[in-house]
Amino acid sequence: MASGVAAIAPQFDDAEQQRSASNLGIWIFLATEVLFFGVLFAAYAITRVRYPEAFAAGSRLTNITLAGINTAVLLTSSLTMALGVHAAKEGARRALVAWLCLTVALGVGFLAIKAVEYRFDYLEHLVPSVDFVYPAPQADQVELFFYLYFLITGVHALHVLIGIGCIAVIAVMASRGAFSASYFTPVDVTGLYWHLVDIIWLFVFPILYLVSRS
Amino acid sequence: MTNHVYATPRTYVIVWLTLLALLALTVGSAYLPLGWANTALNLAITVTQAALVMLFSMHLRSAHPLMRIIATIGFFGIIILIVLSLFDVMTR
Repeated sequence: MASGVAAIAPQFDDAEQQRSASNLGIWIFLATEVLFFGVLFAAYAITRVRYPEAFAAGSRLTNITLAGINTAVLLTSSLTMALGVHAAKEGARRALVAWLCLTVALGVGFLAIKAVEYRFDYLEHLVPSVDFVYPAPQADQVELFFYLYFLITGVHALHVLIGIGCIAVIAVMASRGAFSASYFTPVDVTGLYWHLVDIIWLFVFPILYLVSRS
Repeated sequence: MTNHVYATPRTYVIVWLTLLALLALTVGSAYLPLGWANTALNLAITVTQAALVMLFSMHLRSAHPLMRIIATIGFFGIIILIVLSLFDVMTR
């Protein structure tokens, strides 16, 4: 495949069928990812319905400034990824590599900001089981909020990390000329995964950071 | 299966600007004292943002119906999971 021409596996009739099969495969995988995060969101919904005041109090302790910036960073990385796929479709190798590197940089930036945020959480004694101090009623329920906060943001950060790894590999492949205007399915499929990670964050942000800010 | 029709860079940039505007809107609205409507508004804006990403960046708008069905199943699965779990918890 180093020639940049689609190598058609024996089970497929043509390149288009092979491309469609890859797309179908990634969409099925993304649907299972949605359900995977769905369990976490369901746990959140049930706990929030039970302890609305504690969740409002817990959410007010999260860092909305850093999380807001991070949301913008991730949305921008989705744009650079989409432009990367466009460059791949046009067969513009250098532009493709540049957009992919920019996407990786933004992904790393997201994780760096997240790390700073976790550090602030730690300094404010908000890490359950490690160092959690909440000198007000319903401390246990607020701690429950922070369990979910670290679980959901942690699992999401892991997905960002995996996404960065995949995009970095694709960038190296692209720089070696593995893709062309007629064959760029790996770029396309990695892009779909990255956009889904972005979408999941779009849901994580309001449910953890925006509860009862007024 | 039909060929994909991808969006243009111009469309991607417009979608990105719209997503950022919606982000500002959802953060801003969170500071208004609207009670339960705060959460409803935040979720409505998020669903709009997700729909924009799926339709344009993930090119579902022009994708084969099979992909759209699978994407829809994922989201309906999550809704069924949460709503039915809440029915159980809230009626005990």
